[in-house]
Amino acid sequence: MKNPIIALLGNPNVGKTSLFNRITKLHQRVGNYPGITVEKREGTVNANSKTYSVIDLPGTYSLFPTSLDEAVVYDVLADKRNKYHPDLVVVVSEPNNIKRSIILYQQARELGVPAIFVINMIDEIKEKGLEIDYDRLEQYLNTKVYTTDARNGKGIQQLIQAFEERPSHYVSRFTIEEKYQSALEEAKKLFPLHTEYQTWQFLAQDHVSFLDEKQRAGLKAIKDKHAFTFHELQKTEALQRNEQTSELIKDIIFHKDNLQLSATNKMDRILLHPVWGYVIFFALLFIIFQLVFTLATPIMDWIDELFASLIDTTAAVLPEGPFSDLLTQGVLAGIGGIVIFVPQIAILFLLISMMEETGYMSRVVFLMDRWLRPYGLNGKSVIPLMSGAGCAVPAIMAARNIENTKERLITMLVTPFMTCAARLPIYIVLIALVIPNETFMGFGLQGLVLNALYILGVLAALLSAWVLSKIIKTTHKSFLIFELPAYKGPDWKNVGYNVWDKTSGFLFGAGKIILAMAVILWVLGSFGPNDKFSNAESYVTEANPTLSEDELSEEVASYRLEHSFLGYLGMGIEPFVKPLGYDWKMGIGLISSFAAREVFVGTMATVYSLGEEVDVEDEEEQQTLLSKMRSEINRNTGKPAYNLASGISLLLFYAFAMQCMSTIAIMKRETGSWKWTIMQTVMMTGLAYVVAFIAYQALK
Amino acid sequence: MQEKLSLTVLKIGEKATISAVNSEELPAKFLEMGLLPGHVIEVKHKAPFNGPIGLHIHSSNVLIALRKSEAEHIFVEK
Repeated sequence: MKNPIIALLGNPNVGKTSLFNRITKLHQRVGNYPGITVEKREGTVNANSKTYSVIDLPGTYSLFPTSLDEAVVYDVLADKRNKYHPDLVVVVSEPNNIKRSIILYQQARELGVPAIFVINMIDEIKEKGLEIDYDRLEQYLNTKVYTTDARNGKGIQQLIQAFEERPSHYVSRFTIEEKYQSALEEAKKLFPLHTEYQTWQFLAQDHVSFLDEKQRAGLKAIKDKHAFTFHELQKTEALQRNEQTSELIKDIIFHKDNLQLSATNKMDRILLHPVWGYVIFFALLFIIFQLVFTLATPIMDWIDELFASLIDTTAAVLPEGPFSDLLTQGVLAGIGGIVIFVPQIAILFLLISMMEETGYMSRVVFLMDRWLRPYGLNGKSVIPLMSGAGCAVPAIMAARNIENTKERLITMLVTPFMTCAARLPIYIVLIALVIPNETFMGFGLQGLVLNALYILGVLAALLSAWVLSKIIKTTHKSFLIFELPAYKGPDWKNVGYNVWDKTSGFLFGAGKIILAMAVILWVLGSFGPNDKFSNAESYVTEANPTLSEDELSEEVASYRLEHSFLGYLGMGIEPFVKPLGYDWKMGIGLISSFAAREVFVGTMATVYSLGEEVDVEDEEEQQTLLSKMRSEINRNTGKPAYNLASGISLLLFYAFAMQCMSTIAIMKRETGSWKWTIMQTVMMTGLAYVVAFIAYQALK
Repeated sequence: MQEKLSLTVLKIGEKATISAVNSEELPAKFLEMGLLPGHVIEVKHKAPFNGPIGLHIHSSNVLIALRKSEAEHIFVEK
């Protein structure tokens, strides 16, 4: 038998997710609702000798959706055939907004779904200056009212026991106005099996996804004939319910002074100040990035060493041969490349979820909306964009906080333009090669170019956002209204779940694809189609019999690469990269660094017959790689391979191109669509190609 | 004497009662969040250069932020 489904329904900021975490503990998983990008949180709990499926529905103020997230709520509750249609709805409220929650509760009940009512955050009731007459509330709602505090676990057990309750039939309090009656009668003929309120909801919704074409056309015809819009019906209902509830609630909830809000107000006077608000926000951002880098670096170094020694041990234990190579250079190196990002992601999300939990994130939206709106973005886009300066992978995940689907999509599409940490090694090497070490107006020219590249990233993100906002269509009008919740200390349980959720999602989700790519690249680089690859050593000794042992092995590695599948691929794409000023060796770098940008430097080192291990931080090694690269001649032009023109062209290419499998993997996971993922890659790499082409042709 | 003003003209610290909401322009969400005729509001914060406005809704005791472009469709009486 199917597990009974319990759905948590409530406004944002009522502690619904805390409650969900308390109920399901670690028995939960996060996925997407089929076919859309809305996040679905689902868990289980064993009680009353049953297993319940618990679903945390997206936060919403009513069943009239204004975003995709909210549309899911209506679909799940109104469509009895929906896979997640609940057996019982738990309407979660908090002392301060019981009125709004009652309206949501009424809508759910009148759609025919049994529901119970919970007042969460009950421990704050005194501070918020409220008193509630529970008997009257229960009487009014015609259901049991439970009180919980998800932060300390109060009332959770009683609530879980109550999952067995199925409140009796509910009588609607909503009276449909006379002027809509004839339209309603016509609509009822289309839906003979539905109740009056369900039919009214069909009329009041913009788009009901689970009805067929004919039914939708029928509804539209009725609306056209009677000359009203769905907006009008929604507002009629909202107004009537509000009036009714305001009247009744006077005898149920008694207001005194809200101490919490006055404390919040004092803090907001500084944190939302037209000057100090921004100063504090940018100082906070600066601290966050410092923390992400300084705290993560020692752990990342440790992981790096751990994997290096793991690879060495494995290589020593296993007999030499292709299998050992695949395991060490392919699989282990690939996993190491994923795990190394974990500290940065975990720290970034720790800090971001603390900002969310305390209520500060809404203030950031308030401060930044004005500055991002002209580009089709939203105040909330600032977090992903700034995080993008570290790594686009957690940054794209951070875009989940943006409710408006269009603005969220644009944010995710443009975030990879921000200059991430992986671009830095390439920039350092290339700038050292092609930009003269001179001063310009008292500043080091090389440093100026690096700064310019960072600014270029921001400009590219904002401008492409602006263009995308003109192209992408949306069914939901852009508007912004949000609550500024009272400040409070973070719920550490929530923070913990959030960090775990994001980090493990990256590790296992994107990890699979990165790993596959690492293995593919390894295979292509380790095998060749003919004996020039397998017999590289004899070919090299034949050509240069006087090489020392060290030189020989370097030459062999380089010769092998040239005649591996990867090498032939490099030659294959040479015609395409030639107009940008690159030769086949750089072509290999471009191909292999498609997995991750930072691979470029390592690949170039191999190609120019240096060992794989190049530490860019290490002055001496950097010099040897640099001098090799400097003396390298492009066989097509006869000029140095890295001259000003090709160097600038390469810098610009890496600034714009989507050279990152992890980002592609996370985009697929977050958007749930290959269409947008591929469009983004084509857009970025296409732009990179055009810009690099123009730069090279102009400078050569 | 009562004046009909757009919410945007209120200064920080000013209180007013919502008299009308031009619902043609605004989704039902604005009503649901408490921007309803008859409710007393107080402007608490304004982001610079015509940024969002922070409102305290007295009856429901919550702080709401909305863009100026949408606040223009909400009318108040002082």
